[in-house]
Amino acid sequence: MPKSFNNNMLSLQHISKYYQNGPNKAYVINDLSLDIEEGEFVSIMGPSGSGKSTLLNIIGMLDAPTDGYHYFIDQPVHQLKEKQRSALYKQYIGFVFQAYHLIDELTVYENIETPLIYQDIKGSERKALVADMLDRFGIVGKKDLFPSQLSGGQQQLVGVARALISKPKLLLADEPTGNLNSKQGEEIMELFRKLNKEDGVTIVQVTHSEKNAQYGSRIINLLDGRIESSITL
Amino acid sequence: MLRNYIKTAWRNLWKGRVFNTMNVIGLSVAIACCIMLFLTVYFQFTFDRFHVNINKIHQLSFSSSRAEGTEISTAMCAPLAQALKDDYQDIRYITRMANGGATVKYGGKELEKNIHFVDTDFFKMFTFPVVNGNKNNPLADLNDLVLTEYAAKAIFGKENPIGKTIELKYADTPHNFVVSAVVKDFPENSSITFDMLLRFEVTPDYQEHMKHWDWHDHSTFIQLHDNVKPEVFGKQLQTFVNKNFKEVIDGMKKDGAKADANGNVYSLNLLPFANNHFATEINGLEGGQVSKTYVFSLMAIGIFILVIACINFVNLSVARAFTRAREVGVRKTLGAGKWQLLVQFWVETFMVCLFAMVAGIILANFIMPGFNATFRSNMEISMLFKVSHILVMIGVLLLITMIAGLYPALLMMRFKTVSVLKGSVGNAKPGKTRNVLLVTQFTLSTLLIVCTLISWQQISYLKSRPLGYNKDEVISIPIGNSLKGDQALELFRNKMNGQPGITAITGAYDNMGSGKDGSMRTSRIGFDYKGHTVRTTIQGVSYDFLKALDIKLVDGREFSRAMAGDSNAIVINEKMAAQLGKNIRVGDLVPLDENSPSRIIGIVKDYNYRSLRSEIEPLTLVMQGYEINYVFVRVKADNLIRAFNQVKDKWHETFPNVEFTGSWINENTERQYVAEQRLSTIFISGAIIAIIISCIGLLAMSFMIMVQRTKEIGIRKVLGANVGVLVMLLSRDFLKLVLLAAVIAFPLAWWLMSKWLESFVYRTPIYWWIFALAGFIALAIAFLTVSFQSVRAALANPVKSLRSE
Repeated sequence: MPKSFNNNMLSLQHISKYYQNGPNKAYVINDLSLDIEEGEFVSIMGPSGSGKSTLLNIIGMLDAPTDGYHYFIDQPVHQLKEKQRSALYKQYIGFVFQAYHLIDELTVYENIETPLIYQDIKGSERKALVADMLDRFGIVGKKDLFPSQLSGGQQQLVGVARALISKPKLLLADEPTGNLNSKQGEEIMELFRKLNKEDGVTIVQVTHSEKNAQYGSRIINLLDGRIESSITL
Repeated sequence: MLRNYIKTAWRNLWKGRVFNTMNVIGLSVAIACCIMLFLTVYFQFTFDRFHVNINKIHQLSFSSSRAEGTEISTAMCAPLAQALKDDYQDIRYITRMANGGATVKYGGKELEKNIHFVDTDFFKMFTFPVVNGNKNNPLADLNDLVLTEYAAKAIFGKENPIGKTIELKYADTPHNFVVSAVVKDFPENSSITFDMLLRFEVTPDYQEHMKHWDWHDHSTFIQLHDNVKPEVFGKQLQTFVNKNFKEVIDGMKKDGAKADANGNVYSLNLLPFANNHFATEINGLEGGQVSKTYVFSLMAIGIFILVIACINFVNLSVARAFTRAREVGVRKTLGAGKWQLLVQFWVETFMVCLFAMVAGIILANFIMPGFNATFRSNMEISMLFKVSHILVMIGVLLLITMIAGLYPALLMMRFKTVSVLKGSVGNAKPGKTRNVLLVTQFTLSTLLIVCTLISWQQISYLKSRPLGYNKDEVISIPIGNSLKGDQALELFRNKMNGQPGITAITGAYDNMGSGKDGSMRTSRIGFDYKGHTVRTTIQGVSYDFLKALDIKLVDGREFSRAMAGDSNAIVINEKMAAQLGKNIRVGDLVPLDENSPSRIIGIVKDYNYRSLRSEIEPLTLVMQGYEINYVFVRVKADNLIRAFNQVKDKWHETFPNVEFTGSWINENTERQYVAEQRLSTIFISGAIIAIIISCIGLLAMSFMIMVQRTKEIGIRKVLGANVGVLVMLLSRDFLKLVLLAAVIAFPLAWWLMSKWLESFVYRTPIYWWIFALAGFIALAIAFLTVSFQSVRAALANPVKSLRSE
């Protein structure tokens, strides 16, 4: 497959991830190739163990593939050093987790602020950015609460706000509604659609729910580490 | 950024407050102990360092290589100093120094003060700056007197003492002196201590002393010119010795003296004054000597405790690191760099350490008085706030936080972000490092337990070993400077005559054990007997000495008032008899004094008249020529407190102006072992603190492990394991480590303690059961600590723990 440099956000080429299990290789991702363009909203689906989360982690640079080529905004990620990868990641990628993964010891405000601290953004600027975000998500009144004082939906809202604070081009979500009830889930999905449509954020989500997958522009079905089907809606 | 770190650090610390409190308590106790111990060590190592010339000052000593071994004596004769200075240009300053006491009379006040008799060079050698009076030559005149600020205040109060005349009474005669200068009070860690300085020429019988080269009774210090090497100079002294001590050398050679490495049997040597405080092997030095072993033990215990506390710190931090793995993962996904995370964790560690250090200093401040009382130290917390000490503390703080903070942080860095977020780190296997650290902790603790037990045993052995006389129920009363010994004894005897409950009254030249006056006298003489030199310790006694102390006679009888010739008779011990020859019998004449030989009237069984550190040596009891300094009173055993008060009252009745400082002889003999007792107190305090801190660590550690193994415990319970089995299962791993630690500690402790015991002539054997007991104590304490947690874990409802998975 030729490399394409047009408006591709990211490009995975012949990616494999396996574990050596005695003489056998246990494949989690098996020779998978995938291109995602800027502005897409991709939902990855598939049964348990099909490699959805691993794929998402590879895209998010939290995990490295065993083989293959990985380009992100025209940068060869597979060749980058840890530090460069981390810089790229910091600037362009936001992560939302099923279990929210807020830091328990920090307030809502501080949780949202943390990524900015790691980007060495000045205090006054941080204040403005976080205030904006709180305002936009309607959680100004909750800014001094700790995660344990919030409902699941609210926590995930904070999780999304935190992922968006550094204005990422790519938002990765691993079953973002998995721990929420259906009403809360819908709200989050509506938020994602809005982000995608209005702000042009590229989103890749892993989901079990057919309904949630419908919010996106493309559905990729995985089976045993390969792409079984890719449906553009 | 930093503010953010501190804020998160504080919240994190608060969240883990149970562990952190344990951590802080352990660490601050350790720091408090270390402060005490290291300040003591510093105090000891800086002894006498305030003398500017300390490295140039040397004390003279004679070394005689006799057939039975080399003897070192610092006692010098009066004519030596001037003769030496005349013969050797290399000597810059020389001073004789004799110690004494006097009763000072001024303005109706009477005070007992300590005197040093010195030569004028004294002020040029030692750093005792004059603050008031004659600064150039404070002892220019023979009747000049120099006081310390302390003594000046005691005698004169607010008056200016310079030029005032005071009366000193020593050697039974009053003398008048004029205060010429006041010197600054010397620091606590000074070997040379005095209230007053007088010219050496005013010592009693000075003119007579100057005629004799064989009367050795004071110290002499010299300072060489800066370009002279002491080693080279020391060798040159032999000519002087050969010239002036020919008779001594000839006499020694006749008795089979062995020449030393330089071919000399009798030589004059230089002892560096800088080493004065630690020269425990030499008798007759200024000040109380402290063994370096003792100081190093303190240092070692301090380091042990600090190491144990740091290990706790590392272990607890590592354990907590696992619970915080998720946070690290999240932070990584939010873009945290390695260094940012390291700094964050370091800030947390630093805060805990800083807090512990401040708490430790406060704690040290509170326990300082108790510590000083127990270990006879004179420390103040202000000693801590010297620039050098503060720098050291900051250094230690940084070092601890580096080791204890960065190691767990690095460990956390290594977690795989993805697996951490899935929550799979919690079940990590207990690390090798952690086990090594735990073993180290318990090795040190067990070591201290063994040391405690053995030093206890040795002390109780010293206290209970029969001394060859009956030390119970005898009161010893120091007579003091203001009374004449024999007269005082007679007066008191008459007063006590017919008192009920009094069995015997006698007097002696030297005390038994160490009395409240703290004085110790030794008098030894040598004489020729049938062609060889006999050397003996002399004890001056009065009638009823053997009766009062219950010393057993082997042959002959005690001194008796009924026998006219007894005043010149002697009683000897078995060692002395053996030295005099096989055929010695009661009734033989011994030429203690060439002109009038003494008759042996009795031979007593050997008894320990010195501490059990030294062997019994030849002893001769005499009735005349030695002043009586102590009165011994044997009382009946029925009511000791009443008897003591009775004796005290009678003493006050007899001598209304003399203080009563009497004490029981069995107290006196115990007082000889205060150094050992102090060491043992330090061992036991060290051991207890080490054990407590180790257990805090163990407790926290076991708690962590139990949390990690909750699921396993649940499953085992469902499968039918009972609580006892589970507790054993959970405790077993820890106990194995403690046992291993004990096994490592035993040979180490055995080696250390057998070295220590070697310093005693009479010592307890090291029994195997001491080790068994120490091991058992360590195991029992560890088991109790661990089972505190394991019982709880084993009792927990399995349904709960399994559901929570």
